[in-house]
Order: sequence, then C-alpha cells, then structure tokens
Amino acid sequence: MNKFTLLLFYFIAAYSFAQQSIVSGKVLEQSTGEALLGATVQNKTKNKATTTDFDGLFSIEASVGDVLRFTYVGALTKEVTVKNFDPLTIKLLEDVATLEEVVVIGYGTQAVREVTGAVSIVDSEVIENLKPSRVEEALQGQVAGVNVTSSSGSPGAGLNIRIRGISTNGDNRPLILVDGNIIEDLSVINPGDIESVSVLKDATAGIYGVRAANGVIIITTKGGRKNQPLTVEFNSWGGFQQTSRKLPTLNSQQYALIKNEAFANNGEAIPFTDISNLSNTDYQDEVFEDALVLNNDASIRGGTEKSTYAFGVAVLSQDGIVGSDKSDFDRFTMRGNFDHNWTKNLKMETGFLYSYTSNKSINDGGLGSVLFNALNMAPTIPVRNAAGEFSLAEGLGNEVINPEAQLANTFNKNKVGKISGNFGLTYSFLDHFKATARIQANYSEAYGNNFNPRAFYGFGKVFNLTENVYSEYENFFSDYTYDAFVTYNNTFNDKHNVEATLGMSAFRTRGDFNDQTAFGNVSNDYNEVSISGGRNIVDGDELVGSARRFDQRLLSHFLRVQYDYDGKYLFSGVIRRDGSTIFGPENRFGVFPTASLGWIASEESFLKDNKIFDFLKVRASAGIIGNDRIPAFGFVSLLTGEGQYVFNDQIINGTAGGALSNPEIKWEEQFTANVGVDMQFLSNKLNVTLDVFNRETKDLLIAPDVSGILGAAAPGSGAPFINGGDIRNRGIEFSIGYSDKITNDLSFNANFNFATLDNEVLAVNNDNGFIEAGGFGVGQPPITRFQEGFTIGYFYGYQTDGIFQNAAEVAAHPSQLALAGVEAQPGDFRYKDLNGDGVVNLDDRTELGDPLPDVTMGFNLSLNYKNWDFQSYFFASLGNDMVRNYERNQPLTNTTTNILNRWTGEGSTNSFPRVTTGATANQVFSDFFVEDASFLRAQNLQLGYTLNEKALDNVKLSKLRIYAAVRNAFTLTKYQGFDPSASSGDPLASGIDNGFYPVARTFLIGINAKF
Amino acid sequence: MKIYKLYIVLFVVAIGFNACSEDYLDVTSEDTNSENFFNSQEDYESALVGAYDLLQSTYLNVMLGDIASDNTLAGGESATDVIGIQQIDDMLHTPVNEQLSDIWQRMFAGVNRTNFIMEFQDKTDFPDKPRVLGETRFLRAYYYFELVKFFGDVPLVVDQRFLFGDQFEVDRTPKADVYAQIERDLIFAIDNLEYTTPDVGRATKGSAQALLGKVYLFQQKYGDAADVLDDLILSNAYSLVTDYSTIFENDNENNSESVFEIQYSDAEGAGFGCLQCSEGNVAVGFNGIRNYNGPLFDSGFSFNVPTQEVVDLFEPSDPRKDVAILDINAFAASNGATFSVGFEHTGFYNRKYIARQGDLNTGDANLTNPNNYRAIRLADVYLMAAEAYNSGNLGDGQARTYLNIVRTRLNLPDVQLSGTALNDAIFLERRLELVGEGHHFFDLVRTGRAANEIDGFVSGKHEVFPIPLEEILLAGNRWEQNPNY
Repeated sequence: MNKFTLLLFYFIAAYSFAQQSIVSGKVLEQSTGEALLGATVQNKTKNKATTTDFDGLFSIEASVGDVLRFTYVGALTKEVTVKNFDPLTIKLLEDVATLEEVVVIGYGTQAVREVTGAVSIVDSEVIENLKPSRVEEALQGQVAGVNVTSSSGSPGAGLNIRIRGISTNGDNRPLILVDGNIIEDLSVINPGDIESVSVLKDATAGIYGVRAANGVIIITTKGGRKNQPLTVEFNSWGGFQQTSRKLPTLNSQQYALIKNEAFANNGEAIPFTDISNLSNTDYQDEVFEDALVLNNDASIRGGTEKSTYAFGVAVLSQDGIVGSDKSDFDRFTMRGNFDHNWTKNLKMETGFLYSYTSNKSINDGGLGSVLFNALNMAPTIPVRNAAGEFSLAEGLGNEVINPEAQLANTFNKNKVGKISGNFGLTYSFLDHFKATARIQANYSEAYGNNFNPRAFYGFGKVFNLTENVYSEYENFFSDYTYDAFVTYNNTFNDKHNVEATLGMSAFRTRGDFNDQTAFGNVSNDYNEVSISGGRNIVDGDELVGSARRFDQRLLSHFLRVQYDYDGKYLFSGVIRRDGSTIFGPENRFGVFPTASLGWIASEESFLKDNKIFDFLKVRASAGIIGNDRIPAFGFVSLLTGEGQYVFNDQIINGTAGGALSNPEIKWEEQFTANVGVDMQFLSNKLNVTLDVFNRETKDLLIAPDVSGILGAAAPGSGAPFINGGDIRNRGIEFSIGYSDKITNDLSFNANFNFATLDNEVLAVNNDNGFIEAGGFGVGQPPITRFQEGFTIGYFYGYQTDGIFQNAAEVAAHPSQLALAGVEAQPGDFRYKDLNGDGVVNLDDRTELGDPLPDVTMGFNLSLNYKNWDFQSYFFASLGNDMVRNYERNQPLTNTTTNILNRWTGEGSTNSFPRVTTGATANQVFSDFFVEDASFLRAQNLQLGYTLNEKALDNVKLSKLRIYAAVRNAFTLTKYQGFDPSASSGDPLASGIDNGFYPVARTFLIGINAKF
Repeated sequence: MKIYKLYIVLFVVAIGFNACSEDYLDVTSEDTNSENFFNSQEDYESALVGAYDLLQSTYLNVMLGDIASDNTLAGGESATDVIGIQQIDDMLHTPVNEQLSDIWQRMFAGVNRTNFIMEFQDKTDFPDKPRVLGETRFLRAYYYFELVKFFGDVPLVVDQRFLFGDQFEVDRTPKADVYAQIERDLIFAIDNLEYTTPDVGRATKGSAQALLGKVYLFQQKYGDAADVLDDLILSNAYSLVTDYSTIFENDNENNSESVFEIQYSDAEGAGFGCLQCSEGNVAVGFNGIRNYNGPLFDSGFSFNVPTQEVVDLFEPSDPRKDVAILDINAFAASNGATFSVGFEHTGFYNRKYIARQGDLNTGDANLTNPNNYRAIRLADVYLMAAEAYNSGNLGDGQARTYLNIVRTRLNLPDVQLSGTALNDAIFLERRLELVGEGHHFFDLVRTGRAANEIDGFVSGKHEVFPIPLEEILLAGNRWEQNPNY
C-alpha cells in the first residue's frame, strides 16, 4: 500500500464517518396525501431497511449519495439519492398500470402482463366507492361482458350474474370462489372485505374445469401484509332508500270515467254514476316507503416477518322499500385470515368466514305480488273502510287483493348461519418444486318459517284462507373442496421460463332437508302458531330419498403448462379430466383441453423505442369446458314420482316413477375462442383492451318436451335430460381507461367499456324444434321460446297492424275469430295474417323481440381535487326487450295512464284499442305488450372529503374520509314498468314483467377511518 | 426437520390422490330404482295407488264433455281465459291446444303407470294378485277409453312401458284394435274382481261391467252391451238413490248408485303449476260461481255454464232441473247472495259440480274441492241398457222397462214409446239425467246427432279432436293428423 492509497483510504473513511447519519422523512400517497404506513424504506447502498409507522414516518441510516428505495404495495416504487439530511417527503404514485399486479388464475397466480386469457379485475377501491349491499352489484358496468340483473330489488334477493350471455338453457351461474372456496350465494359476503374480484371470461377458466363453463369469479378477501404494523380500519355508512320509480296510474276520477266508458261500450250499466265525490287512494304511495340501510364494519390487519393476519366484523341492516321490515335483510359477518411461514420452505394459509343472515320477504314476483296488487287495486277503494278494517278488493277479479291487507298478513323469516374455513400448506423443495395441499369447507344451516293466517280479501279471491297454514323448515348443507398439486418452475438459459402444475381436486356437496307444515292452528297469531298446534302435519320425516338429502361429487385431475420465452412469447395449456356423479358410469368422465397464446409485442426490439405504445400484447385462447349442472341421477329411472289417490276418504301415498331417464346423457361441452389485445399509451395513462369471442355450447343438457305417450306429464315425473341443443354467443368487448394528473391538486380517472352480445340458438333436437316457456296473462299459452335460429327465450306472439277504424276495415281483413272466439270490431287491434291463409290464428305468431341486451356499457369518472374526491358510475343496456304483464285487465282493475290514449272513434288513434268490458282479442299476446327496455342508469354518484393530516395528528388517525353518495340516482329509459334492469333469471323466460320490485334509490353518508 | 416436513406435505398430497380414486364417484341414489321394485304385495299395491292417481286429472275430460256439446258454454273470466277451452266450446279448436295436449299426456301417463305394474306382473306372487291386476287392467282400459273417445286411433302398448325412444317407432293403432284391448282388459277385470272391495274407491267387478257396457255401446255392439249391463243390473250390487237431489252432495259420496266414482280430497294443497297433481276436483272450482258471496256455495271461476237451451228441456215437474241447474239470479235474489258476471254468463251454473261450503278450503281452495266425480252411476247403466235393447232391436219392452226405472225414481210418468221415438226419448233422458256430468258430447258423436245439435260442428272432422300438433312432431312427425284438421 503506498502513501497515496493510504491517504485515499483515510479520506474516504473520514469522509464516510463524517457523513454517516440518519435520514428521516415521511411517505405519502401522492393523490390523496394519505400517510402510508408499512411502506418499506431500503437503503440500497448500505443494504438496510425499515418500514414507515402510523404517520408514514421513517428514519434510516444513510450517507449522502446513498440510494433509498421506497416500496409500497399498489404503488410505483421510487428511488431517491440522499443529498442532505433535511427531512424527506416522499410521495408515491398509485400503480395505475397494474401490470405488475398478480391475478389469481387457479392453482396459482400470474402477473397480469403475462395473462393470456380474457380476465377482468375489479379492485377494492371500486367496491368501496360503490358501497354495494351485495358484491354482484359492483360487477355491473365494471367488467365488459358481465351483466348483473335482479329478479327483485328486495333486500337480500339474489342477483343473476351472466358472463358473456346465456350459454345454456339451464343453470347459467358462473363458478364463484372466495379465497378458493366455492360459494354459491354471495349474500353471505361483506363487500367491504374484498380485496379484489377477478373475472375469468374465456377458455382459460378451464383450469377450474367443470362448472367453469359460465365463467369464473374469483374473490380474494383482504389480508395482511408482511412487516405491516397493526392497522385498524372502521367504516360506517347509512342512509335511506326509496323506490327508483312509480308508475303513472289513473286517479279516481280518470279511473271512473274510463270504467264508465268501458261498461257503456259493452252496453252495460255504468259503475260510477257520480264521479264528483270519489275517494282517491294511490296504492303505490301506500306500499312504497322510505327505508333505512345501515352498515358498520371494522377490521384489523398486519404482519410480521413471518406471519400476516387480518380480522374483520361487519353488520348490515337493510329494510325494504316495500313492506319495510317485512322485507328486511340483516347480515353479520366475521372473518379472519392468518398466513404463516413456518420455515423458508413451508407456508401455511388459513382463513375462516362466519356469516349469519336473516331476512323476511314479501310476495314480490308474479301474479299476486304486492306491487301487482298496488297497480291493479281500484283507486276509489280506500285502504281501510269506515270500520277501520282493510277494504275488500271487490269487483277486481279473483287475484287482485288489497296490497296493504296482503302486507299485514305476510309473516315469514329465513335465517342462514354459515361457517367456511380454509387451510392450506405449501412446501417448496428441490429449488424448483412446490407442493400444495389445501382444503376448503363450508357448513350452513338454513331455517325459517312461513305463516299464512286465515284471511278474507273479498269473495272468490284465490288468496282467501279459511284455515291457516304454518310451515317450518330446517336444512343443512355441507361441502368441501380438496386440492392437491405440485408446481415446477424453472428458467433455462435466462429466457425459457417454464411452469408446470399437476394436481387433483375433489369436491363433495351434501344437503339434508326437513320440512313440516301444519294446517289449522286455532290461534291466528304468528307468534302463537306452531307445528304441533295444527290439525294436519305434513311431517318432514316423510321426506324420503333425494327430496330428503343429496350427495354429489366431482373428481378432477389436471395438468397445466405455462411457458414464456423472454417475457415476449407466452403459452399456457391446460388439460383437465373431470368426473361427475351426475352422469352414468359410461359417461362419467370428460377430458377438456384449453390453450392460450400471447405475444407482448412491445417487448420486441423493433417496437421497444416506439413512440406510440407503452405496452402491446396480443393474445388468443381456445378450449373446451364441460358443464354438468343438471339434477342428479338422470341416467336411471327412479321412483321419485308422486302417486297419490284417495281410498276411504283418506289420501294414500303410493309409488310412481319420477322424471324419465336417459342412460346416454353426457357432458355438455362449451367451445370457446377468444382473441384479445391489451394496449397502453401515453406513459401508461391510457389503457385499452379489446376482446372478440365466440362461445358455442354443444350437446346442451336440456329437458325438452317429449312425446306425451312416455308419461312425463304424470305428477312428479318430467321429461328426461338429453344432450339436445346448441347455442352460440358471440361478441366484442372493449374497454378504455385514462388517468392523469393535471396539476398537483387535480387528477382524474375515466373508464368506459362496452360489450356486444349476439345470442343464437343453433339447434334444438326435440323434433318440434322449440321449447316453450313463459306465462302471460291468465290462461294464455306460453309466450317465450327456445328455438333454432333465434335468441334464447325470445317472445313469440301476434303482430299488430294498427287499430280497425271502422267496420269496413274489419270486413276487409281476415277473420280474427280464432283468437278469442269473437269477431273484431272497430277500435280493436288488427293482427297481421302473416302466412296469408285468410284467417288470423295461432299460425300467425312470430318473433316479437328478446330480453337479452345487444350492447351493455359501463362508464365511470373519478376526480380528485385537493382533499375532495368525486366518483360517478353509469351503466347502460341497449336492445333488451320486456313484456308488460303487470296489468290484470279485469273490468274494474286500475291501469296506467296509457289507457287515456285509447281509441274513441274513427281517427282517434291507431295504437291503443278501445276500452270495453266485452270480449275482445286485444289481450292476446302481441307486440303491443313488448317494450324496448333499454336504459341508462347512474349507479353511483359520490362526493368525499379527506381531512388533512394536520387535523388528524391530534386524534391519532391516519386517514379520515367522509362522503355522501346516491346509488341509482336516476334511470333513463322508455320502458314503462318499474325496472328495466330486472329479469326473472330463467334463461327461457327472463323478460316478463309481472311487476318487478324495483331497485332502490339510496341516499347515504359515510365515514371511513384508519388508525 | 426439513425432510420431515416435506414428508408431511407429500403424504397429504398423496392421500388426496389415492383416496380419490374413481370409486369416489360411486354414489348410489337415495331413491329406489324402478327396475328393483315389486318385491312384495305392498310394492304392487303402492304402484297401483300411483296408477289410480291420474284418474283425478280427468276433471278436464269431464268439463270438455259438456262444454264441447250444446249443454254448456266455456265461460270463465274473459274470451282469452283458457283459450283452449274457449276454442273447443266454439268448435274452433286446432291441433295447437294446450288442454287437448294435457288430456293426451295425462291419459298416457295413466297408461304408463298401469303398464309399469303389468310389465312386472310375474315378478312376485301373492294371494291377492288377481285383484291387483284386475284393478290395474280396469284402469288401463279407463285411460285408453278416454284416449279413443277424444282422439280415435292412438298408440297402443300392452304390458310394457313406453320408454324414451319408443315414440319414434310406435304408430297409431287403429281404434278397433285399441277397443279390442280395452275389452280384454275389462273382461279380465270382471273375472278377477268382486262387487265388494277392501277399500272404498277401488274399481269393482261392477265398475268393469259398466265400463265394458259403455265401450260396447260406443262400438254399436248392442248385444254384448245388453248382456254385460244385464249381468250388472241383475247382480243387484247397486241400487238407485231414492232422492235424486242428494246424489251429488259431498256427504253422499260413494252412494248405492255409484258404480264407479273418482275419489277426491281436500286434505292437501294444490297449485296451478301442476293441476294434475291436485288431490281435489279441479273442475268443481273451475265451474264455481264467480266472486260469490252467499250461503251454501263457494266461489269459483265460472266455467262450464249451462245454456238456456238445456235448461228449457226439463219438464216443469222434473226434480232433476234444480239439482243440475243453479239459476244464480233467482238464487241470489232470494238468498241475498252476490256474485260477479263472468264471460258468456248465462245466468246458470252446473250445480252438480260447483264449489260448496263446508270443506277445508286448503289452498288454492279453488283446486282442492273434495267432491268425487260420479263417473258411472246406475242410472247411466239403466239408460245404456235401455239404449242397447232399443238400438240393437233386442226388445223395446226391456228398453222401456229400464228407461222407466230411471223415470220412476223421479216420479215422472212412464214412457210408452217404441222404435225411433223411444230412441229419442232414451237419448233425451240421458241428456237430462246426466247433464253436467261430461257425457253429452260423446253421446252426440256416437249416435250421429252432433252435427245437428252443435253449432260449428263439421261432420267428418269434429267427431274426434285433433292429435296435438306437438305430439305428432315429438313422435318424429310420422303420424297422420285426424281428418280435416
């Protein structure tokens, strides 16, 4: 060592010693200014690390010139070179690009950038903004190609999720996994617990095999992070709900005039001789009310070097906008996650979820629902008569009753307690291998009762009861999923990345049903009636066989190979063999392959320096997925029919065959192809995704009408399931998002997506070529069809061609006698003689529309200005038709004000027929009853304010945000009914509106606090 | 330690792979397989109950038997209320008719349930088997007779079920062959059944004799009809109820005059989703008075309302008129009752089978009326016998004797006619005696009177109903439609 080097060493050492000190500072989230706790601060130069505390504060040993690296999950990593020892303020940008995010893809995760399937992600922020009572509501409008409809706006009512249309005539529900656990009913999940929702829309869902044919929704709950200090979060929001729509019905005077005209037109005495002093009751005002909704949840999260944990409780209480506490929903959930690394190689993941839901329900669908009655009840009849009793709905036919009396006589409750747990071990060995074994299990108990008291609503009403009926049920369900798989992961020559997963999965679900019904309790009080108090007990012990319990199982083996070359060329292939107890021994197993390819073009050298794309990926997938969602044991004939007769004046239970069997039934197969492109522009500020897909379901499992000589019409029997149809869904999905920061104070984020859907039935192999469904009116033939060449569940009826203006026009037109046994008169509909055979009859029916939207769109816009934030979410559905079937059309039932435009004489109108109490064919199902139910809905408008840090320092809060929001603020539609977004969920008959319970408009305020 | 944990994980994984071999999927059903049944008398008896079950669904056949004729109108709520019934009333029915489909499907369901027993008739022996098989074959004959009456030629299968796939092979069997099988079944039943039964409601030897007599009459086999009906009458197993007005009341079910009666009960609920599942008499509710408020009766749907024409046919002194016909306007006025007016309101109701008070009204109360259907009454038997003697030229004296037995019970004067005039008198007596009981349309057709009596009836067409179009299509589109449909 010479002098020079010695000197140099001295200087360096001295300098270093002198400069060695502590750097401190604070880490904030850039857009919100929120202090980030648990951010990792790493001195890269000195290889030291620390994390930020509650207030985002840190201090770390560092010298001038050292490089500090700040990392935080969900934020872009930032590196800073130490220049002096002034406190640093580090603002981390939210990671908008999300490309480094990982997505759960089934038996593993994958970086979003490498995903080759059509996968959409909804993150917790969206869910937090939307404040849904149920998770499904957060998917509508967020994911292109996912359509969520409700069959009732009643609290706790189920929602129908349809991913990329209707692919089967039967069960179209996607597979839903919550932390790997199959959950059929999402009402048990508190949306606030959700970290992210991934939606697998194409063949890559095939890794989940059977039941993934309708797509897969993977929900991950919020967990803790390593080295994260204990965080406590509290959310509280509440507000009130009101109906999003009321229909314009006739008031007493309009009503009396119209009814007088109808009676007079039929030569009958008019019912209202004095219209000057009529009682006027708006029954919609009577049944709709403002209802409360309140949610509170609290959670803690955290982690150490080896463990992470999370725990949360939530309570939701929601009343209904019809019937208030008679249609309420309460939910309590408690959940916990605990993950622990026993050693470097052995990792344990555990979780549990407990939920307890309780709801009451009113009659909210079909003929006789509360809303149906509210629309049809005569406005001249007051709710209560002079004696204070509920008025009888006299003169309004057999079904229409006083809706207030109906609500007063509604008594039921349903409670479900459910516990779910998961436990998994992953062991890494031999450098490249990982073995995982995990079990997920659910157990639930559902119990409840229903009481229909003795009641009298008017003479001849079908709801009159001279003997009350009380029933109770207690059902038990359990299921488990056991997965075991080994993953091999290696990189060769730095460029060939290979991952292979080999595994198996077993699923078993069981149920046990118990029902009891008692007729004729002496007491007529819900609180006093009991099973033992009844005259006649239909005992649950008599439930036998499959009515009493079921046991279904699946057994699957799978192999997945993923390969990429240099992060540019991606391949993933899955082969899965599924076995199901649904099918007979010969057809029990199906083998289903799927494959996908991707090319990250922006990684190519010739595009690397381009000025347009920041990222460009082209991907394609294709595959076959099986579906087994039909009732069990369709392959053998079982004696499950009903054979009852009366001997000695006593009902005797005999034995009879159940549904006809078909030993040949096998897997329904879905062939899916998807081509997509993901692009990012303008420094990753603009994201575009485009997908084009074609899904064809073959060997559809249908139970079509079969020849009557087979005896399927017998009580308890039914048609056999056959593999007898083919449906195609095609569409384009496009989404575009832009986010930018305009000034330091103002940033915004806008997203738009749309999806088109073309659904066509390609074949129905039941010889008559169609299946009918869907009731209309009273005693009319079915109006929807599942038929080759048409959209599933399309409407089938007569085409009107204006109104007959005079007798000459009637005489000039083919006879319409066959429609209702009466010849048309002026003022009646002219129906088209489509086949030109000179008479209008059943053969002249045709397609009148379908309930599936052609295009669905979602749009949201968020703005942040200083401490203020604003979010808006919109959803639009175009091209969906709906059948108006909520008017009972009895001589004295009320109607909407449309009737004021009726035909009153030659030239008065060509669109609305005359009113008469006489027989006409105007009520047969025609295009008059089909309406365009396209709509645009403002799902959520929200304004929030986050208190600045200084104000919070005193109260030891790291974040406090208050906000106000309106859900379903407005809906723009031409549809005249309550809710254009409603659907019965039955794929064959989804668009018939019997007076759907509309979604509520909700005004709420809330607070979000983090400690 | 490390190795130890590796073993734990691999062990768990291996358990999964092994425990889940393919027999994991061998789950047997909780329900009995239909091929493993009939191991005891109880099994046969139980399947027989199932075979009886479809009789209850013939309420619709009974309603149409009058509505299609000039006895009653469809009625109901409006011109579109059960359009299939409205069309049949107006003779406007086409091959697309839900109610005709119902009848086709339900009667074949009954046939299949009887054939399920017959297919396994030799599997297990027990002393009482002749009776079980006798009742089974009676039921098969009953269902096939309904099918032949409505549709003419129908697919016939004997002692085996139609299985899925058979519908593409089987043809419509000529009506004569179906009748031959019906006769064989009924003769077997006569030979193996007694006049008395272990339970009220089962078919008896008398039931089989009466039905066979009717089947002969429908084929104009007057001699055979007279023989078997004579046997029945001479057995004295049945006797006319003295007071005609009590016959159709609920507390007089299975009375001395009932040769065969379809049993109903109000003890179990029912819904519109499966009318054939109801244990109640659906026709009674359908025929009931619309929105009725008053004594004695209950509300219903105002179907099957008698015409002024049939009301006017009763002689003033005929006690049957006030039993068969309810003049609702007069009744309401004198009893302070109210009701509403349905479609095709005539002012009359089919009083024999309308809803009455006093039952349990189990929901839906319109579908669970308990009143049995008196399918074959002894009065019907006498009138059939009279017709057989007269039409078969076997002796007008005996014909008059049988006819006058029926009239004597009513304190109506004896008929002294003979020849065609006697034939007309017997026919009129049948119509008045049995109005509202579902026989008249088929009586008009089989005697060639329909075209003269029913508005819109086209000879050569309306004698049978069309085969439901969907049934033709679902059987492979091979069957020819009935003429002129």
